[in-house]
Amino acid sequence: MSGLLQKNIDLAGSNIPWLEGLRDKGREAFILPTAKTEAWKYTKLRDLSADDFVLSGTDEDKSHGEEHCTCGQGECHCHHHHEPQTNLPFAGYEIHFENGILQTLAFDLPKGVMIKPLMEAVFDGDDVKKYLGKDIDLASYPFAALNTAYLEEGVYIEIEEGVILSKPIILINHTHSCHQNIMAYLRNVIVLENDAKATIIEDFEYTGEEKSRYFNNIVNEIYINKQAKLEHYKLQNEAYKAVHISLSSVRVREGGFYESFCCQKGANLARNETKISLKEEHAEAVVNAVYLMNGWATIDTTTDIEHLSPNTKSQQLVKGVVGGNAKGVFQGKIHIAPNAVKTEGRQLHKALLLSDDAEIDCKPELEIYADDVKCSHGAASGELDKEQLFYMRSRGIGEEEAKRILVEAYLNDVINQISQEDIKTWMLSQATINQEEK
Amino acid sequence: MDNKQQTPEILDESGDKYKYGFTTDIASETISKGLSEDIIRQISLKKGEPDWLLEFRLQAYRYWQQMKEPTWAKLSYDKIDYQDLYYYSAPKQKVAPKSLAEVDPKLLSTYEKLGIPLKEQEVLAGVVAVDAVFDSVSVATTYRAKLAEKGIIFCSISEAVREHPDLVKQYLGSVVPYTDNFFACLNSAVFTDGSFVYIPRGVKCPMELSTYFRINAQNTGQFERTLIVADEESYVSYLEGCTAPQRDENQLHAAIVEIVVLKNAEVKYSTVQNWYPGDKNGKGGVYNFVTKRAACRGENSKISWTQVETGSAVTWKYPSCILQGDNSVGEFYSVALTNNYQQADTGTKMIHIGKNTTSKIISKGISAGHSDQTYRGLVRVSPNADNARNYSQCDSLLIGKNCGSHTVPYIENRNKSAILEHEATTSKISDEQLFYCQQRGLDEETAVSLIVNGFCKEVMQHLPLEFAIEAAKLINISLEGSVG
Amino acid sequence: MSKTPLLEIEDLCARVADKEIVKDFSLTINEGEVHAIMGPNGAGKSTLSYVLCGKPGYEVTSGSVRFKGKDLLSMSVEERAREGLFLIMQYPVEIQGVPVTTFLKHAVNAVRKHQNLPELDTMEFIKTVREEGKKLGITPDMLKRPINVGFSGGEKKRLETLQLAILKPSLAILDEADSGLDIDALKVVAEGINAERNEHNALLVITHYQRLLNYIEPDYVHIYADGHIVKSGDKNLAIELEKNGYAAFVKEQ
Repeated sequence: MSGLLQKNIDLAGSNIPWLEGLRDKGREAFILPTAKTEAWKYTKLRDLSADDFVLSGTDEDKSHGEEHCTCGQGECHCHHHHEPQTNLPFAGYEIHFENGILQTLAFDLPKGVMIKPLMEAVFDGDDVKKYLGKDIDLASYPFAALNTAYLEEGVYIEIEEGVILSKPIILINHTHSCHQNIMAYLRNVIVLENDAKATIIEDFEYTGEEKSRYFNNIVNEIYINKQAKLEHYKLQNEAYKAVHISLSSVRVREGGFYESFCCQKGANLARNETKISLKEEHAEAVVNAVYLMNGWATIDTTTDIEHLSPNTKSQQLVKGVVGGNAKGVFQGKIHIAPNAVKTEGRQLHKALLLSDDAEIDCKPELEIYADDVKCSHGAASGELDKEQLFYMRSRGIGEEEAKRILVEAYLNDVINQISQEDIKTWMLSQATINQEEK
Repeated sequence: MDNKQQTPEILDESGDKYKYGFTTDIASETISKGLSEDIIRQISLKKGEPDWLLEFRLQAYRYWQQMKEPTWAKLSYDKIDYQDLYYYSAPKQKVAPKSLAEVDPKLLSTYEKLGIPLKEQEVLAGVVAVDAVFDSVSVATTYRAKLAEKGIIFCSISEAVREHPDLVKQYLGSVVPYTDNFFACLNSAVFTDGSFVYIPRGVKCPMELSTYFRINAQNTGQFERTLIVADEESYVSYLEGCTAPQRDENQLHAAIVEIVVLKNAEVKYSTVQNWYPGDKNGKGGVYNFVTKRAACRGENSKISWTQVETGSAVTWKYPSCILQGDNSVGEFYSVALTNNYQQADTGTKMIHIGKNTTSKIISKGISAGHSDQTYRGLVRVSPNADNARNYSQCDSLLIGKNCGSHTVPYIENRNKSAILEHEATTSKISDEQLFYCQQRGLDEETAVSLIVNGFCKEVMQHLPLEFAIEAAKLINISLEGSVG
Repeated sequence: MSKTPLLEIEDLCARVADKEIVKDFSLTINEGEVHAIMGPNGAGKSTLSYVLCGKPGYEVTSGSVRFKGKDLLSMSVEERAREGLFLIMQYPVEIQGVPVTTFLKHAVNAVRKHQNLPELDTMEFIKTVREEGKKLGITPDMLKRPINVGFSGGEKKRLETLQLAILKPSLAILDEADSGLDIDALKVVAEGINAERNEHNALLVITHYQRLLNYIEPDYVHIYADGHIVKSGDKNLAIELEKNGYAAFVKEQ
């Protein structure tokens, strides 16, 4: 079977009309973007349609035996159960996914915090129904449509009113398929009730063959209610032939605060998209990111922030470094609705090109329908400062080392904005340039 | 632009004709409505064009039939019925007013504010023909004599086709091919007239070449075509348009301006566009779909676009620079002001191909009333454009609660040694600034126009002085009714 | 000394964003007088000057203000200015692209038009501005620059003083509540202001420190706290204040 949108896939809960109806909408709305699709102008998807992706966890996935294995390790580990492993230098509520499939949830949660598998929440008749797909126009987000068609895996997280979670919730996805191209769809719904506070960390890693080709598609639907605050961190470190397409759709109510930081350094084709509605007054968002890439990859950071009410505020700082034949893409949009006065929207994207064949494409966008606003965007691209490089080399530091130091310094001013010390330290250790040319 | 169209006769014919009140007589013959190969053949025949040009038009027309009207711009307007237009000299429906007393007093008061002399007002309002007003004979003669001395060719494109076919054939469509876009393609099929300028090698044009004096060519240039070639080491400054409001029956304008700049040459192209913007309820007004592009083909060549756009109901315009020659320079300075229900989607393209090419974009957008304005720009650095530099600054000012202002830059860098910087801001006139001005005794309207003109200054100073003074007045007039 | 009242403030109450800042404030300034209002930081001294000039956002809730016998509060910002009320601002705002001379010419002509005087001849005007500017250490080059843009704090104050000299208001309010100005600049500005004084105009100095009053000598000193004047006296009051601090006076009430 081929193509991204496959038929006759058994999904749990297909007897639930509203759920199946939602999936049908996804199936209907999905069209693979072409070179003429404005939102995908710079991130080309050509070779994606030709891939024989098999949905993770289906019989077809499992039926492939070890004879097809390309691990070269003598014994295939693809279908073996992996002990959850983590290298994170801090503790939290760890939720493990293997090839996009949720493993056991084994931890005690404080009162007022609910974390369950998405389908369990559906079967239990939890509020998840009123949140799923509410803020996403499937026609505009083809991969969210595809994700909706396969809606099954993921978690539902609900933090009750006034609950302040001191430890982060960590979603870890390990992909280790190597005998065939698997695709996995994750859907997480995260709800913070009034005055709640939480931290979510997403970590995408691979543990299989580094050449494995797979496709991870993630949709997070995040609802931040009055005066609630969510900090959202993400590390995207997929295998270098992987495809990673993710959308976080965030709705922020009065006085709510969404703060995110994403570091992308893996995959062959990656898009981390954030769409935020600042729905009510004094809602605020900070969307920061860094990306660094060598090889042939395309790495895309896309944001769309809608200011729908007065006194809302957003701030974005994105920095990237591209070498090899890689291409960095940044698209950022700030939209101010007609009545959203006294708003502030700031955005800055900066990128470094390290090699002759690297490329940066950038489209910052302001769409403003209110007069009493302060909005700005800036974009800059260039290469490493030759004077600085020379200075360092004149003090005996080797060229590669000097470059590495300068690149890290370049990215660190974004990472240093992370308020939580241990997460900052972890991100600093991750945002280092990969010297290997692949 | 079109009714300030180059009228070849002024420059071409002997002075005698003016004495007899000669005016362009193109309008006496018209071709029926609609667009077809047959119509194009008729246009070409009437103009006595050579076969190659007819072939160029037909190819464009055939290509155009397969094209779709672009919808990507942030513009909404009624669908244009291309078969319901006259493509050759639309008939004049108006009866010319006999004196200024019969002219719309609003129009006259605007002339007054712009400080246009009475005699010129009569011409603009269509009371008298241009030759009765200007000392055209002497103007034209001195003009021509001076230019001819230097070997400069400045004439209508029709005349150029007859007199300088090799030059036209070599360059026409070489910067804007007919396949370029829907409106450029349409223009290539049906263009009626326009200007041709050739500055020979080593010549610095001694005066500003201006379309300003040529205001009697009514209705010829709905599909205007301008071609400017600056040969090596030459220089020319070209002014297009005029500040006076133009009542025009033609709703659709699709012009092309092509500029070729060779080694060490420089072209400055300034535009003031003040086509009828429609009334305050958004009724009527010109649709202005223009393709302007300059190719800096030689080393060290330079093109500078300066525009002040206050007119038209709908503007779709992106004057562009193709920086092919090493060390070539492209500049774009723009003020766009929209009021009432005007819409403008305008900006520029800077395509860096040669090494050490530099470009600069300064765009100032002012939206007032219910208008909607978009800056759309592209900066592209090709892999071989070592050390390319671009600096872009796009500022928008909003006046009132009901207007929109958008900024959509596309920045594509494929060369690591390139340095690209883009900055954009959007704000309203600050209360603090208004208070400060008012505390010193200025009323709100004066304060706003002072602040707006200050906001635009960086662009205005690139206009030739006289033009700049008029443009500043024009901005004040266009702002009327937006305050309070 | 003539006793023609210029500004008569009676029981003025005003607020900013629902906060009462000026409470039952009364003060009369006659022609030829120099008054100083001193008060601790954050007492709302600047608010008073903004209220008098009619800055949007400053709302008068009760009381009356007469300026040259006319109801000041019913006038717009620019009408007050044209009548001869001038505020030397603490932080003059920058206006990109508008040269000092252009700005000043508009202002002068707006005021002259109000007084039924003809517009000034441009050459004459430029000459006057240059001469006045020279006295204040403002070069012709500075006059060409956009107003207040990139000027230092001291230069901005000089520009304000230049405008005072050109516009010749009846009452100037010097809002120097807490902005720091170096001594040299202070002297130049004070000299500029003093030069404009005569028996028909008046000056209201709002300041935190006594040091300014060494250069502009006041006839009356008022201590301002909690929205109104708590004590009035002559210039010796300012000296006393410098010695003992505000606390002593604020407590007295």
